Amino acid sequence: MKLASRFGTLFVLLLLCLFFSLATLNDQHPTDEGAARVLARRIARECPGTPNVLIVVRPGEDDLRYATALEEELERSSGANILGKITGIPSAVRKRLEELGAAGTKLDVIATHHFSAQGVLAGDQFKVLTASQPSLGSAKVIIPPSVRWPVFLKMSNLMDILNMISVIAIIAIGMTMVIITTGIDLSVGSLIAFSGVIVAGAARELGSGPESGIFLLLGCALLGIVGCGLLGSFSGVMVTAFGIHPFIVTLSIMSIARGLSYIIADGPSDVVIEAESYRFLGAGRSLLGIPNSVILMILLYLSAHLLMTRTVLGRHIYAVGGNREAAHLSGVPVKRVLIIVYTICGALAGLGGVVNSSLYGAGSAKSGVGYELQIIAAVVVGGTSLAGGSGKIMGTLVGALILGVIANGMNLTGVTTYPQMVVFGLLILVAVLIDQLKNRKTGTASS
Amino acid sequence: MKLIRQHLLLILVAALCCGCGGSSDDGGETKKKGLIGYSAMSLTNPFFKIIADSITEEARLNGFDVAVNDANSDGKLQAEHIDSYIVQGAQAIILNPCDRLSVGPAIQKANKAGIPVFTCDLQCVAEGVKITGHIGTDNFQGGQLAGKAMIELLGETGGKVLILHFKQANSCVLRVDGFMKEINAHNKGRTEGRIEIAAELDGAGAKDQGFQSTSAALQAHPDLAAIFAINDPSALGAYTALEQAKKVGQVKIIGFDGELAGKQAIKDGKFFADPIQFPVKMGKTSVQNIIKYLNGEEFEEKVLIPTYLYRKADADKDPELK
Repeated sequence: MKLASRFGTLFVLLLLCLFFSLATLNDQHPTDEGAARVLARRIARECPGTPNVLIVVRPGEDDLRYATALEEELERSSGANILGKITGIPSAVRKRLEELGAAGTKLDVIATHHFSAQGVLAGDQFKVLTASQPSLGSAKVIIPPSVRWPVFLKMSNLMDILNMISVIAIIAIGMTMVIITTGIDLSVGSLIAFSGVIVAGAARELGSGPESGIFLLLGCALLGIVGCGLLGSFSGVMVTAFGIHPFIVTLSIMSIARGLSYIIADGPSDVVIEAESYRFLGAGRSLLGIPNSVILMILLYLSAHLLMTRTVLGRHIYAVGGNREAAHLSGVPVKRVLIIVYTICGALAGLGGVVNSSLYGAGSAKSGVGYELQIIAAVVVGGTSLAGGSGKIMGTLVGALILGVIANGMNLTGVTTYPQMVVFGLLILVAVLIDQLKNRKTGTASS
Repeated sequence: MKLIRQHLLLILVAALCCGCGGSSDDGGETKKKGLIGYSAMSLTNPFFKIIADSITEEARLNGFDVAVNDANSDGKLQAEHIDSYIVQGAQAIILNPCDRLSVGPAIQKANKAGIPVFTCDLQCVAEGVKITGHIGTDNFQGGQLAGKAMIELLGETGGKVLILHFKQANSCVLRVDGFMKEINAHNKGRTEGRIEIAAELDGAGAKDQGFQSTSAALQAHPDLAAIFAINDPSALGAYTALEQAKKVGQVKIIGFDGELAGKQAIKDGKFFADPIQFPVKMGKTSVQNIIKYLNGEEFEEKVLIPTYLYRKADADKDPELK
């Protein structure tokens, strides 16, 4: 039964991916280095001799790489005489073409890509230009052929999705544990801001601006995580020692942490972290171009999966959620388990805040508003029951992926914000409905 | 169990399809010039809706596809929009930047991909980003017009004024700066008939906050003479507060924007006047500048459109109003 439910959500995810792949199938215009080399060889083949070639691309690092690869391959495999490499805005291209025309230089080939072949190099505009510059008249604009491929399945898009969900998914680990114990934590969104402004504030007070050392920054980050962990512990103590409902406790912590964030940041404006090295975690990319925050997310999920399935603490968390009284009678330290779970959730929210502030290079008291609901949604969609006692960490990852895929897919297909909200609402409803049906069928509903 | 699951799934997918069906392009496979993406600050604000509509109209007229997304004042959503425009291979991006913090890295990505970014109405003040063009309102001049209107309104007797501010938006800061310049010039060397700023409260640019702040100000300053609100929604909220406190005759309002509800309020005598902006012109000029940019022609990189002081006499002649 549990197996079926786990693969059920995975199945939904795959189906969504399939759907959006079909919906976004479109002409793609390659601008990578591979396409540049193929184009260079084509020019060598189609234009024998020593044609005069001008390379035209847009400004920006990505296009510069394309142009450089094109130039290298042309030099290597053709007799082309490269007149120049323009990595500039269209007006710079026009200026250069007019110069060439005025000098009477014969131009045979303009090697570019789809995007730069628009505007100044597009049919009508280019005709006007060449009418007054006869030496350019015979120039051919050559671009790589387009291919049909879903926008959704482009590597850069898939990385965007993972990057986009990383903060939410990281915090959802802690939320899953809390919900398995039949609890809830509404404070996580505010804790993102709280951690962000603590890190940024500490870096500003203790650090030396852009030259702040890496250990100091790590210390500041730790301060943010510990600060949020302490607030989490506080929630846990209020829940266990005084028996206050976690909804109420964490609702008040939500307000307290948000208020403290504004106080620390002295208002809504950003507290900038000047050290560029701090952005490694949130904005940096490592092996295969995978964002570091995604690598961190995957490592955390693996550890949490082991914690929940292979350790005593994991078994205790399920036991507390399944039947608190029975767990207590069989010797599970219920209170300690609950405090640990809220502490973990708080600390992970703090870590989420660190990743968030690292992405933007600043902490802000405004960040993370409404995140708690997205995080709870990810957990619920991932198959964890709000009735407690059951749920899978990896299910939550799938839940977060489903939310991310839908948000991304709807952006790509041009669905506007309001229908998006409706779809999200339906999605959560469907997920909870499945949860209800499952409980009724197996008769494990406990509340 | 599996069966139920799949049925529910079908519903979900069907819901998605309905959502997509509404906005898919009309499939005209004519030679398109590419995609322009517009991420609006908030499409619930009529001002940005007009900009969105005029961008769409002008771009379609010139053979471009348009993707319009509503960032709902959420910088993170706007960053996601920009990502999706990059992945879709847009020719240009137009933005009303929501949030300096979240939008900075997203614009950097567009810069890296060589896609020009144009801002509209609101400026981006993030560091290390390249903005190709900006079109906005001359907000400082607009504030000055509001200040002059206030002096005309209160005249030689002067009085206490409430400013409904929205400090997060740079444009609103400029409006209040322009306003204060005129008021300070008026007050200089004057002991009688000064215009005093009794309070400067946050109106959040929205009706509900404008209402709350004005109600509080009326409690603290029962002798308030006038209000300058940095946009029409907060000015309308202020008017509701005046109604509740039965001070409609005593306190006059000057708004900003000239959206339809604001113009109607001027016609109905609820507001004294509005420096008005020209959202249609902003939308169209944005697209025209993109076309000029792509064609390699010259264009003005920063266009500030002056506002016009719209009064009751203008409203009475306005065919748009009831």
